[in-house]
Amino acid sequence: MGIDIGPRVIDAGTSLLSVLISPVPVAAGYPSPAQDYFDGRIDLNEHLIKDITSTYVVRVSGDSMEGAGISDGDELIVNRALDPKDGSVVIAVLDGELTIKRLRITASGVVLQADNPRYPDIRVPALSDLVIWGVATRCLHHV
Amino acid sequence: MSDTAASDTAALLSPHQIALVDVNCFYASAERAFDPSLEGRPLVVLSNNDGCAVTRSPEAKALGIPVGEPWFKIAPRAKEWGLEVRSSNYELYGDISARVMQLLGRYSAWLEVYSIDEAFLGVKGTQDELRRLGHSIKAAVRRNVGVPVCVGIAGTKTLAKLANKWAKNNPGLNGVCHWDAMPAPAREALMARLSVIELWGVAARLTKRLNSQGIYSILDLARADPVRIRDRFSVVLMRTVLELRGTACIPLEEERIGREQLIFSRSFSTPITTAADLRQVMSVYAQQASARLAKHGLQAKLLTAFAGTSHYNPADTSYPTVCITLPMPTADPVLLTRASHALLPKIQEGIKYVRAGIMVTDLRPTGQQSPLPAFANPHEERGIGTLLEDISRRFGRGSVGLGHAGIRGGPDWSMQRTMLSPRYTTNWDELPLVKAA
Repeated sequence: MGIDIGPRVIDAGTSLLSVLISPVPVAAGYPSPAQDYFDGRIDLNEHLIKDITSTYVVRVSGDSMEGAGISDGDELIVNRALDPKDGSVVIAVLDGELTIKRLRITASGVVLQADNPRYPDIRVPALSDLVIWGVATRCLHHV
Repeated sequence: MSDTAASDTAALLSPHQIALVDVNCFYASAERAFDPSLEGRPLVVLSNNDGCAVTRSPEAKALGIPVGEPWFKIAPRAKEWGLEVRSSNYELYGDISARVMQLLGRYSAWLEVYSIDEAFLGVKGTQDELRRLGHSIKAAVRRNVGVPVCVGIAGTKTLAKLANKWAKNNPGLNGVCHWDAMPAPAREALMARLSVIELWGVAARLTKRLNSQGIYSILDLARADPVRIRDRFSVVLMRTVLELRGTACIPLEEERIGREQLIFSRSFSTPITTAADLRQVMSVYAQQASARLAKHGLQAKLLTAFAGTSHYNPADTSYPTVCITLPMPTADPVLLTRASHALLPKIQEGIKYVRAGIMVTDLRPTGQQSPLPAFANPHEERGIGTLLEDISRRFGRGSVGLGHAGIRGGPDWSMQRTMLSPRYTTNWDELPLVKAA
């Protein structure tokens, strides 16, 4: 790249050992090389969100997905850019409402299922007959 | 990277082209993205304080509601029309805009955010490649972010704007128009049919003056003598003439103030590679924006900050964008500066940024609402903005600037926004609900 990218690289290897021996405290004003190694707390965005432009968080209202471990009031991470597949938990537009269902793609057609026996399946001839708003990738279940 | 090599070759073979990507009926489309029941129904979005219709869905346009129509005139017939109405949800629009811009940055390392809902992209390729690129941008924005866009591609910004407009008004094009791919007679016929007022940057008053000189259609203007146009009108209009003839000559506009937004954006003579340096740049822009807002008697509630890398260095591209809701409508330099610094954690150290900017939106006249003294912005009270502006005027721009200052936010003493949709993407308590039933 030919660009000086600063102390992060210069310090690699040479100061890591000293960092491990005495990470804190250091004299005030001393530019601690440790900062470069220890500033990375777990960032959920990094792990749970693949593409920030296409990812939204939604909240579940209702109990029709209990069987999938998705309860009323849980938050879902939804990626709009994913291709829905057989078995995907999807947000579909049904009667103008965002609705969560499990997508089944079979030889005989496409089915939107609830993961709760109290709710009937919805059958459509083809995937193109559906508006899929996004594919759920994670459920933030309240325990 | 083979892609890079390919685009370098293309650069030698074909001249640079410009794509204008613009979200259709942006505010209405942002509302529809989270409320599909609005799809296909007439929808208007009202200006601040629910004053008048600023965005109309095509269905609302078909009802004959003019843009800028005061709400009190629309209201009596809204029910009979089945009209849906929303107050301006700037937090939502700001976030959707930031997502669109970030996504567009992946398609070109040359991106100029022109307004909250439109951007110019430098693109290269054959006519066929460019048309496909246009369609793939359109599909990606729709799919990823959830809003529809149109794409106009041409050799100049003025023609890209025109191509974009043509794409919007011609369903057969499916949202993408490549100007050069149109047969010359078709382009001329279109330009002959459209009034000069349809052109980018030509307002009603200028149209009248042009008409008095016998220039009515865009084609008339394209055929006018550029030197005469410069002498009778302005250099700006001469550029328009040249651009209509295919010579790109409209530079990056560094500062624009419109009814809905104010933008500061600059290219740097020397690339910036550290967050520390960018911090200074953002501070300067924020303070300039503050002065500009104060001059126009405006306050802003939302700030978008962005930066970008050069198109000459496609290996390291980075287009960070953040959208910050200010704690209260403000023109306060301290608040704006602080908000602009939210971009800094997204800066990749060592990468060469050649452009950065800020955009403030959700503008409203100062003093439209008065906060209780306890919640008033302390810096505004002390007149720091005016003081900074005075010093700058006396000693030159950049002679004084702000350090860091603590900020205490107060609630937004709301203006009237009675038909506001939830802040779906920026507030944890207002997430979109999905029905599990």
